[in-house]
Formats: sequence, structure tokens, C-alpha cells
Amino acid sequence: MFDAFNNGIVINNPYPVTRVEIIQAPLPDKVVLPLQQRIGAEAEPCVKVGDKVLTGQLIAQTPDQFCASIHASISGTVVAIDAQIIPHKSGLKSNCITIESDGKDEWIKNKGVGDFLHCSRETLIEYLQQSGIVGLGGAGFPTHSKLKKATNCHTLIINATECEPGIMCDDALMQHDAREVIRGVEVLLRITGATQVFIAIEDDKQEAYHSLLMFNHNERISIIQIPTKYTSGAEKLLIKALLNIEIPADELAINHGILCQNVSTVKAIFDAVVEDKPLISRIVTVTGDAVTPNNFEVRLGASFRHIVTLAEPNNKPHAVRMGGMMMGVNVATLDVPICKVTNCIFVNNAKPTPSIQECIRCGQCNQACPVNLLPQQLYWYAKSENTEKAMEYNLSSCIECRCCDVVCPSHIPLASYFSFAKALHRQTLKAQKKVYNARKRFEYREYRLVRNKTERTEMMARKKAELKQKWQATRLKKIK
Amino acid sequence: MRLITFWLGCHCANYFAVTSAIAVEALFLKIRNQPIAPAIGDGSAALTGILLAISIPTIAPWWIIVVGVSFAIIFGKQLYGGLGNNPFNPAMLGYAFLLISYPLQMTTWAGDFVTFTQAFEVIFNLNPVDALSGATRLDDVKTQLALGKIISELSVHSTAQAWINAGFLLGGLYLLVRRVIFWHIPLAFLSGIVITAFLLSFGDTEHYLPIQNHLMLGGTMLGAFFIATDPVSACTTPKGRLIYGFFIGMLIVIIRTFGNYPDGVAFAVLLMNITVPLIDYYTQPKVFGQ
Repeated sequence: MFDAFNNGIVINNPYPVTRVEIIQAPLPDKVVLPLQQRIGAEAEPCVKVGDKVLTGQLIAQTPDQFCASIHASISGTVVAIDAQIIPHKSGLKSNCITIESDGKDEWIKNKGVGDFLHCSRETLIEYLQQSGIVGLGGAGFPTHSKLKKATNCHTLIINATECEPGIMCDDALMQHDAREVIRGVEVLLRITGATQVFIAIEDDKQEAYHSLLMFNHNERISIIQIPTKYTSGAEKLLIKALLNIEIPADELAINHGILCQNVSTVKAIFDAVVEDKPLISRIVTVTGDAVTPNNFEVRLGASFRHIVTLAEPNNKPHAVRMGGMMMGVNVATLDVPICKVTNCIFVNNAKPTPSIQECIRCGQCNQACPVNLLPQQLYWYAKSENTEKAMEYNLSSCIECRCCDVVCPSHIPLASYFSFAKALHRQTLKAQKKVYNARKRFEYREYRLVRNKTERTEMMARKKAELKQKWQATRLKKIK
Repeated sequence: MRLITFWLGCHCANYFAVTSAIAVEALFLKIRNQPIAPAIGDGSAALTGILLAISIPTIAPWWIIVVGVSFAIIFGKQLYGGLGNNPFNPAMLGYAFLLISYPLQMTTWAGDFVTFTQAFEVIFNLNPVDALSGATRLDDVKTQLALGKIISELSVHSTAQAWINAGFLLGGLYLLVRRVIFWHIPLAFLSGIVITAFLLSFGDTEHYLPIQNHLMLGGTMLGAFFIATDPVSACTTPKGRLIYGFFIGMLIVIIRTFGNYPDGVAFAVLLMNITVPLIDYYTQPKVFGQ
């Protein structure tokens, strides 16, 4: 049997705090809201430059059923709709709406849904889309489209594992807003009709665990402690750990009647449905050895600098990383906006990277791999760009968690090699498909030419025969 | 006291081998236009030198060491592209090369206990060899058995070799505790020896060496913890490591018993090195969700 906690690695929070707090960041002077979200088409702005907007007002929505709406996170004036740098590893620019604050933070009066227990599933799902709710754990998958698929859901899993060491925003949320989290779970229960809910929480978050216990009076909700180990928060591994169901690599959990939601998404759902507030702020952990680690509740679109300044950074050169220390992305500048998926900002003193040595196949990586791959073999094939062989070694199952990178004594960036090999494989497949299509077209053309030719000869033969018959008939007549 | 001088005696060849290994590696890296410092710094050349020096007799002449080390580094490693790319264990390749090319010097065992000065003089040819030399215990037993003697008539024990093996066992356990090596290969290796030796000596205790002597003579413990565990040339899957180790152990006993050479660690390891890609391919662990 596969033990979900056999592999993976134990990393304790590298920058622990004595008390997990949520500090309210002051209103930013300006917010930058990207129109492109994690997946799907770019949203279309429904405001113009110069328009006055109120906090919570819809400013962009999308015809794409896949995406969620975007709301103004402060009240003020739209000053620009143009390309700005967004926090993405490519460092590319993307279209954003920039709003300058009037300092009043006037809210728009949203028409809520009223008592959610009297709402239909469809109404609630649509309302979540209008409220701009996406997965806040880091992937940013639109919640409504996940819920739409959950037609036959029996088990709901609330991921409160805090996906990576160092991040504390979910911990803080549960400690401070346990009641809201439980109520949010009840909204989800109403939408999905699930019969059981598991809130999975790591055993190093005792305070959060007890806060949740205190507010949980629903017998369908159970709060389960799991060992603190990195990658136990990965969706399929979590399902395996809790329910002992192994979801095949090419299937979705939802097809097995299991729905996973991050705990901060649940809180956002509560805010939207019960408090009539769209998603305009989130809790962000600022941590690292260059700052005083803490959590900040901040309006979306505020710059990284806005809250990093609050965390008292030192004056040395910094290396900034969005997301966790494991799967996050390095960002070049602090002047990028906080997005819905920005759960953590690491600000570390810039350090030289250790030099990379040869792989000696020591096998530390495959001991650490949470999905039981052989990174040492994959590396060999990824490096030589032999994607076919790499796929044979189940490259597609790699979750790019970087456990192998961390344990590698030769400091090889294995996960980067794997994500490169995956991209290369996709490209090869595309090229192969193109070749296949071209060949099919060519074959069809050949077939068509031959067919036309035979049809033509057949027709000629038939005509000839007809003529002959006619001629014979007339001759017969003549003879008669 | 005797132990300490013996210990020092064994070390004489080691220092020389390490020095020459590093020199050869540096020279070859220079020829290949590769950066020298990081490759020397990883200690792999020094390790090859030490393993080879430990494997060959304590009193082998200096040129044997140089030839062996050069072969190991050049043909065992650098020609394949350096560390991480060699299919064979370099030290064992060097050893096999020496054993085939210079069988006499390679099977001369320095009596039982030899001191540093004695070793130094013999290695650098300052003193005639005969004063010290004799056949190794395993060699001796094999010859005697071939002459029709039976085990109970022979002295199959060697205190010096038992000490050496006990030392390697301790060192190996230290590596295990430090997680430098995994337990799979040593355990499978030793079980391979025990099971095969048991099967052979079970019915006929007079013609086959008993299990405990297989374990405590020759390069058994060195092989189990320091040679077969070389990660580059060994199997890399957990299940594969078990198979790999077991077959090395089995082959060692078979070579010792039926082969022409007294000890079989090098040949067993090299033979199993060849099978590594095959074993690795068929012992892939079950991947989550597949």
C-alpha cells in the first residue's frame, strides 16, 4: 500500500513567529489589478479611464465561463488601463486597471443572495463567480467552475495544511476567523450536497486546530490532524492520506466525488455569500530572513512594497520570491501588485547559489519524492532531452514540488529540468500531431485522386457501354 | 601495539595511492579542458585511490599502485565523461586490470602483520620482498583444497583479516548511521554471501569454506559497505539495490569457490555493474496515481 506520508520531506517553518497575527495593512494609495487571471481569457474592463469607482464595484468581467469577475479593491478614480509588470516568473507585462485611492474607502451596496439556505445551487455558484472567488491556496483555479463540476460530490476536503513551510496565512486565518471558516464550509455543504467534510490541518498548528474545534458544531464536519510534512497538502496526496483513495494521474478528484477547497477560499466564500463582500483583499504572509515575519491583510492590487515595508526589511540586497520557498517564483522587483493567488512573499538576503555538481545517482531524491518517482533517472533523460524515455519513467506524474532539489547533495535544480522536459514533450506532441495531420491530408488527397480517376474510368466505361448498347439497338432495328 | 603498527602499515599504500589518483585526475581534466578544482574537491578521485589501495596487497610495489590508479581514473572514469557517467566502479576496474595483468604481485599477502616502515621499504623496493610475503588466506585455502586437503586440516582463519573486516564493518555502520549509504545494498550483499555459502557448505562442510570465514576473509566487508555501495555504478531503485547486492554476494562466493581467482569482489561488482540498467528499468517503484 502506498503510504501518503512515507515520502516527502520534513521542513519546519524556517522563520517561526511567537504569535501568529493578522496586521491590517493601511489602504494603499493606488492599486493595480491585472485583467489576466491565472487561467482563462483576459477579462474585459467595464469601466473607463477617469471613472469614479467604489470599493467592491465590478470593474471587469469576462464572457469566458471559466473566469471570475474582478472588483475595485479601493474607492477612487480609474487612472489607467494599460500593460504593467505582474508577478509572474516571465517578468512579462499584462493589461491592468490602475485605480488611485480617494482615501475614503466607500463601499458599493451589493445586492447579496440573502439566506444561503434558501438559495439554489446554481444561484450560489453564479454568485461566487460574480464575487470573483478563485482558489486562494496558490493555484488560482476559479471556484465556480470547480463547483459546477461537483454534481455528484460526496466528500468535501478542506485543505488547511498550509501548502509550504514558512507560509502562515491559513494558520492565522483559522486562529482569527474560525467561526467564519466553519460557516463557509456550511455554504459549501449547501452547494455540493456532500455528506461528509474533512478539514485537514497539520499537527503543528494546535491553536488553529482548537479554534476550529471550538466553533464546529456540525456533525458532518470533522477536523483531522495530519503530520507536518511538505507536500501532504498536495490535493491527490491529501485524498490518499485521508480517504485512502488513489486518484489516477489522468483523472480529477471531482470525478470520484471528492472536492478539495483551500481554507482561505472557504473564508472568501463566506465573505461573499454571508457578508455580501466580493474578493477584494486577502491575507499575505511576509517572511524571510530580511524581514520580521508576519501576516498582513491587504487589499488586492497593492504593491509588494506596500506590505514589505510594514515588515521592517533590512537595508541589504534582497531576493524576493512570491509563493512558498519551494514552489514559488522569484520576482525581480517589489513593485508588482498582490494578486488573488499571492499567499506569501519571501524576502531573503541575497545569497550566492551553491555550485551545481554532477549527479552521482545517490538516490536521496527518490527517497524524498512524494509520488515515488526516480528523479535521478528522469534527470538523465531530461538532460539529454529524451522526453520519450522520460515519459516512460512517468515524468507526467511529477508535481514539481522541489523536494528532490532540496535534498540533492549536488544542488541540481531537478524540478526545473523536469518542467522543461514536460514543456518539450508537449511541443514534441504538437509537432507530431502536425505531422500526423499533414500525412492524413496527403493520404486523403492521394485517395481522392485515385478515387476520381477510377470514378472517371468507370463513368467512361459505362458511357461506352451505353453507347454500344444504343448502337447495337439501332443496328438491331435496322436489321429488322 | 602490534595493531597500531599494522594499521599504519596498511596506510602507507593509501597515502601514495590518493596522491597519485589526484595527480592523474588533475592531469586528465587538464587534457579534457575541464575545470580541475571542483572535480578534485568532490573527493571522488581520492576515494578511488583509497579503495584501490585498500583492495590490493599492503606490500604491492609502487608502480602497481600507479598503474592501477591511472587505469581506474582514466579508463574507469574520465573516458566516460567524468564523475557520474561511469558504468563501472572505477576502483574495481583498476583492481581487475591489475589482477589480470600482474597476478603474482596482486596475490602476495604480507604475512599477517606488517609495520609502516616494513611496508614503506617493500613498496618502494628498498628491501627484498621475500622476507615478508606469503599467499593470502583465501588463496592458500583454495590451493590446499585443490590439492585434496579438507577444511578441518587447514587453518582457515586469519586474525589480521578478521580485524580488517571488523574495522570495515564498523566503518560501514557509521556510513549507514550518517545516511551516506542506504541499507539495501550491504544487507542484500551479506545475505547473498550467507545464503550461497550456506547452500554450498550445508551438505559438505569439508570441501567448502564455512559461512563465518566467507564473511571475515578477503574483501567481504569492504565490498559490502564501501565498494558495492558506489552510487554511480550501482542500482538506484530501492528494489533494484536489493537484487544488485544479493547477486554480488552470491557471485563472490561462487567465484571464490569455483573460479580461478582467490577473491571475487571486483569481478562480482563489475559483472553486476553491467546489469544495472536492466535491473533499474524493471524495478521502477510504483508511481502515485499510475
